[in-house]
Amino acid sequence: MAALYRSGSLLLLVLSLTALPAAAAKPEFKIEIRNHLFEPSELVVPANTKIKLIVYNRDSTAEEFESYELNREKVVMGNRKAVIFIGPLKPGTYPFFGEFHPNTAQGIIIAE
Amino acid sequence: MLLTSVIIVLREVLEAALIISVLLALSRIAGIRLNWVRWAIGLGVLGSVIYASNTAIVSDWFDGVGQEVINALLQISVYVCLVIFAVYFAATHKADDANKQRLQALMTVVVSLAIVREGSEIFLYLSGFVGDMTQFTPILTGGLVGAGIGISAGALVYYLLLNLKRDIIPYLSTVLLASVAAGMAGQAALLLIQADWLPSQQALWDSSQWLPEDSVSGQLLYALIGYEASPTPVQAAAYFGGFLLLLGLVALSRYRRKSHADG
Amino acid sequence: MRSIRTFLVVVLLATMTLVVFIAALRGYRASMSQVEALLDGQLVEMARLLDSLHPDDFAMTEAYDGRAFAFQVWVSGKLLKKSLNTPDELIAPLTPGYRDGNFSGYRWRILAQPGHTHEQWILVAQRADLRISLAEEVILEAVLPIIVSLPLAGVLIWLIVGRGLQPLRRLAQQLGSKRSDDLSPLPIAGAPAELRQVIDSTNSLFNRLALAFDREKRFAADAAHELRTPISVLKIQMYNLSRDLQRGNPNLDKLNDGIERVNHLVEQILALYRSTPEHFMANFSRLDLHALARDTISRYYDEFRSRDQQIELAGHRSFLVGDRFALETLLHNLLSNASKYTPSGGQIRVAVQSDDSGVVLCVEDSGPGIAEEEYERVFERFYRIGGDRHVSGVRGCGLGLAIVQHITELHEARIELGRSSFTSGLAVNICFPLRIDAGVGA
Repeated sequence: MAALYRSGSLLLLVLSLTALPAAAAKPEFKIEIRNHLFEPSELVVPANTKIKLIVYNRDSTAEEFESYELNREKVVMGNRKAVIFIGPLKPGTYPFFGEFHPNTAQGIIIAE
Repeated sequence: MLLTSVIIVLREVLEAALIISVLLALSRIAGIRLNWVRWAIGLGVLGSVIYASNTAIVSDWFDGVGQEVINALLQISVYVCLVIFAVYFAATHKADDANKQRLQALMTVVVSLAIVREGSEIFLYLSGFVGDMTQFTPILTGGLVGAGIGISAGALVYYLLLNLKRDIIPYLSTVLLASVAAGMAGQAALLLIQADWLPSQQALWDSSQWLPEDSVSGQLLYALIGYEASPTPVQAAAYFGGFLLLLGLVALSRYRRKSHADG
Repeated sequence: MRSIRTFLVVVLLATMTLVVFIAALRGYRASMSQVEALLDGQLVEMARLLDSLHPDDFAMTEAYDGRAFAFQVWVSGKLLKKSLNTPDELIAPLTPGYRDGNFSGYRWRILAQPGHTHEQWILVAQRADLRISLAEEVILEAVLPIIVSLPLAGVLIWLIVGRGLQPLRRLAQQLGSKRSDDLSPLPIAGAPAELRQVIDSTNSLFNRLALAFDREKRFAADAAHELRTPISVLKIQMYNLSRDLQRGNPNLDKLNDGIERVNHLVEQILALYRSTPEHFMANFSRLDLHALARDTISRYYDEFRSRDQQIELAGHRSFLVGDRFALETLLHNLLSNASKYTPSGGQIRVAVQSDDSGVVLCVEDSGPGIAEEEYERVFERFYRIGGDRHVSGVRGCGLGLAIVQHITELHEARIELGRSSFTSGLAVNICFPLRIDAGVGA
């Protein structure tokens, strides 16, 4: 696994070197999960831009960030963070939810 | 909570059950003993527990997109194994013991890798509720309903395939395997887009109005043909490319076997 | 092997699970929206109740700290009254209707409703997680029995399918337990319509097979019988001829030998097909096998002496029920086989013993014996070890052991071949099971 990690990071290094200017320009947004709630539950992001969303899970249990509209799905382990790349989005609203607690963990991304 | 656990368990179980039942039906008509499936499920469950308990570590790899990369790797491995299996199966119609063992090994790898990928999510989900007795009944009930629907669908597909005319089974099974494999390729592409390893694009279309992905039929189609309501061009290319590549290679090996037999 | 029972149970149960579970899910979803509508209605009622209070009343009421509910009353943009579990800001924008939102660390279902005066807004909220679990508790009670009853249905399906397939299993059992020579028809009474054709066809096949066997036996017996007379005539003419010709003519001896062989063959065929089992049983009587063996040995004693062979008889009086002539034939065939295949100066031992399970006859010789892989084949008619290469100076037609086996079967006895207790040679063991009527007689 360590070898895999190394070769993977090497590949990533090559990729990030070629895509460095674009990566630097990516705006970052942060969302927290606390008590199975998204905080903030409404996030306004620029439209037609790729963004980097960092989800911090402040709960001790795992959560899965999921959005059918955004086509994203990622497990965020308890007390950890996860990086999700989104977009570029057309202007509009994109609901997301925590698949493990969908009744309370709900939120919406508004692209403007 | 009931519906949530139904959807989570159903989605994962259905896909594994479908692969297993198609491979079991193919084993049956090729005269391969079915005991490999016990090994495959056992290995898969073991692997998924190990993977689930190490998700936190895996997530931190590759600057926080390790999960996507490893999952994509698993999906691609399943796809590649399915391709090798389908081609090998088409090339060796009258399988001798050595061929059968190789086919068995391939099927074991496919099924256990698929279960590692599918099962780990169920374990992560369930581990969040350990000790929370208030949610025990709805989650258990939902899990049972989801697993019940998934396994029942798999069993019906298995007997449906076996009850078809003998010479149709390999063709239909190959098409089914191709669509499941294409779904894997599409998923892998999506995961790499999410990890920003592949370019992100606008969706080609959006059919979520007619068939939402979170409905039971949406889940069924997701497992069967890798249904995605709003795929991007890269994803669609991976899907259809994967589908055609498998079918093309199978057709080629069939053709070569035929011309071999004639010449 | 594909099992019909497994197929039926799995497919029925899978279909039922799919239909029932999907129906239960639909029911769950429909009930969920019903309960949510009901709870939304309660929010409206609460908003109207709050609206009906006079602003002065709020000043007098004590602070409310709800768990499941929360409210805010705003007048002209100023907070008039709120429950302690809400923040000081608006919990939802002042547009009429329902929405979901977060505050105070929970997710809420919030209703914003304008009051009876234009300046007043009522905001009431209910905790989303509690709403869901309340609704789910109610619905689970209805859905759970359906899901729990499914294993029960599985067991019932398993039993019912098993019961439905019982006639098929019984037929298979009847066919499986049939003796290879039992060609009696299967009972048709009580068989289901689906199996009637199978049983009819099987019975007609049995019938035709039995007739064919019968014809074969009768043909052989008739032919042998018809051959007896010309052979007798031949023997007489042979005798006359031998008187006319001078003695010791080698050709004459060969001719004589040939006639004896034909005679022997015909007698053996007649013994083999003497009669049907039913006819046989009628002649059964209680007899002492030990005495019978002694008589047979003494009758053919000259044969053994001429070849310088030692023969001994061991054992004691052993009674069984059987056909005297048939058992004599059996003993004679075994003894002559033993004599034939044992070189001059060899040993033959006959033992007759009885115990609680029955009577055992054992004939052993010190000849070369038979290879184990030949054991099955020696019972075949006209089979001789070594085939055409078989060289024995004695008469033989390859029917001896076939007749022995035939007689053994008629007595429901069991025959086993093995190695003799001499340094080499064959041991033939025949176990006659104890019959109730013989036991009583002894």
